[in-house]
Amino acid sequence: MSSTATKPPGSQLSDALARDRLGVASIVFFMMSAAAPLTVVAGVVPTGLAVTGLTGIAIAFLAVALVLAIFSVGYVAMARHIANAGAFYAYVSQGLGRPVGVGASWVALLSYNMFQVASYGGLGAIAQPLFADWFGVDAPWWAFALAAWALVAVLGVRDVAVNGKVLATLLVAEIALTMIFSFAEIGADTFTASTAALDPGNLVGAGAGALLVMAVTGFVGFEQSVVFSEESREPRRTVPRATYIAIALIAVVYAFASWAMISAAGPTVVERAGAEGPELFFNLASDQLGSTALHLGHILFLTSLIAAAISFHNIIARYMFSLGREGVLPRTFGRTVPGTGAPKNGSLAQSALALIVIVAYAVFDWDPLVQLFFWGGSGGGLGVLLLVTITSFAVIGYFARHPEGEDVMHRVIAPVIGSVLLLVMTYLAIDNIAGLLGVEPGSTPALVVPLSFAVLAVAGILWGLILRSTRPQTYAGIGLGARSATTTGGFAAALNETEYPR
Amino acid sequence: MASPPQLPPADDLYLTAHDTIRGKSLLSPATLGLGLGAALLGELVLWRRVDLVENQLVIIDERPTGDAATTAVLEQLRREAGQHGVRNWLAYLSTGIATDLVERRLARAGLIKRVEKRGLLGTKVSFVPADSMTAGWPATRIRTRVSRDEPLDVADLLLAGLILATGLDQHVLATLNARDRAGMFDQFRRLFPAMLQQLVAQAEASVGDAVMARRA
Repeated sequence: MSSTATKPPGSQLSDALARDRLGVASIVFFMMSAAAPLTVVAGVVPTGLAVTGLTGIAIAFLAVALVLAIFSVGYVAMARHIANAGAFYAYVSQGLGRPVGVGASWVALLSYNMFQVASYGGLGAIAQPLFADWFGVDAPWWAFALAAWALVAVLGVRDVAVNGKVLATLLVAEIALTMIFSFAEIGADTFTASTAALDPGNLVGAGAGALLVMAVTGFVGFEQSVVFSEESREPRRTVPRATYIAIALIAVVYAFASWAMISAAGPTVVERAGAEGPELFFNLASDQLGSTALHLGHILFLTSLIAAAISFHNIIARYMFSLGREGVLPRTFGRTVPGTGAPKNGSLAQSALALIVIVAYAVFDWDPLVQLFFWGGSGGGLGVLLLVTITSFAVIGYFARHPEGEDVMHRVIAPVIGSVLLLVMTYLAIDNIAGLLGVEPGSTPALVVPLSFAVLAVAGILWGLILRSTRPQTYAGIGLGARSATTTGGFAAALNETEYPR
Repeated sequence: MASPPQLPPADDLYLTAHDTIRGKSLLSPATLGLGLGAALLGELVLWRRVDLVENQLVIIDERPTGDAATTAVLEQLRREAGQHGVRNWLAYLSTGIATDLVERRLARAGLIKRVEKRGLLGTKVSFVPADSMTAGWPATRIRTRVSRDEPLDVADLLLAGLILATGLDQHVLATLNARDRAGMFDQFRRLFPAMLQQLVAQAEASVGDAVMARRA
């Protein structure tokens, strides 16, 4: 069937717009570049093994994939009906009310920033020994983190889109390499197929919450598919298909790779993960593959971390742009550089925050791998889990009031099942936060991470309520992003000027 | 010295959006296209050919305008009447169609010149303003009127609105002080027809859209 058969005959407009539209493959690539496979498999998984001592991560990836797929049924359905569908808070604003939406937007900003800054910690910690080995460079981890930071800051403010083909090539290479290394690990002498990694009993055990949050971390980026709702060839089919394919692909690659790694390391996997860190994944395969593959793996590991840093940086800059346009954040964030369309001020703010964090970690001599990369990643994972959960309830709320155009499966059944499962996951995660971070229950990190989300959520809700009584026009536009003609860019702000004191 | 004549808003916007000497665009191609597309649709509203009613472009008069660029757009609107909302029309016109129509109109009037640059990778065609004084005039006119508290006509309000919507104001209206800015905003609210307010707001939202979807 030709693709033009479904359009009104001879519509030049439809044809011209269709030429620019995205297919399933481009959207899958985009989603997965934020997920950064090697960062998760070689970075998060071994560090998580060492910190938590839990080996059930493979089954956790599969379980989380299932829950997220169920969640996505309602999520992509709602994306078809609302503006600004790429941002969780847009769903929350429309489904559970605008004040809750503002709270969600602030939680989202914190979560994405935690991921973004975490990638600098990982990059510094991993680059340091590699550069010493390759070039004899003896520099502290933060020097490498700062170099990466500078690159991301410059690319971000100029909004240089890293060429789609480059990104796709790197991603395919990463996945291929992950699979090759995993197969090589199966061939290792110490390999004994692990049943612990795949035992569903892990999901009800004491460490279940920690495992689930670590697994969620691996999927972050999947929610970005709906950004392209209006850009895709057939929104009703392309976006859902891309979302499910990406979730399935991520689940299979991560579960297989982590199972192979845990199996190959044998019964001492937790001790080895503690001693070898991110090198564990590479060491286990190096006997079979030789040093060339090892170097290639290390290079791709670094590019994977940089790609993740860039991609989260861009997500944050656009989130702030969207909030600035709405007037929820200061209006200056709603401006772009005219020549490039780069959301400059959001980008600068993110870079400033990242710089402060890197410098603080360097000054106080905190551990970049565990305390920045892993804590940041897990904290961000917890934040995204909270957002996905509240968004799932927002989907139910929205369709209860706007049932038009979707069947019961999309409107009610899948969102309700998803919400229940997500609520259980959230409970387990918060209950198990100390185990996740590898600290004593009740100690500072175990309190600060969940409390910071709670404080931001409450502050956001309060700000939403303040906007309702002081700036009704701004309040009306919350959650509509840059797409709504009622929001406040330069011109719309001029029309709405009366609500501000001059 | 006599001021250069006022051009159609799309032409004025084009000149404002380009470096007056070398003709380099101050906007990304997508943003420029959205601005010029909205300007051409706005011209059709000013010609009393088209109305914007609840995000739909409704043709109220099919007769050609006597100008090739707007007539071409009107002809397209007529052929696919009622099938697409204004946002889709803006997206369509922004794919290079509006820019092309406006460049041709300006070139015909002798206001911009085609320049061919031969490089290693073939020939690059670009346009440069024929006269940098004329090219800089539209923005100067708006700044002068606004700072003298003189009312802008509807065509200039359309131009000024699109300058804000595309973010060009950071280049050409940056020198306005707070009082002038407030005066201009006041004119938008009092003197600018609601239909055109809607059109410019839609263009601005489309520009934001392009930023979010990484097309800008």
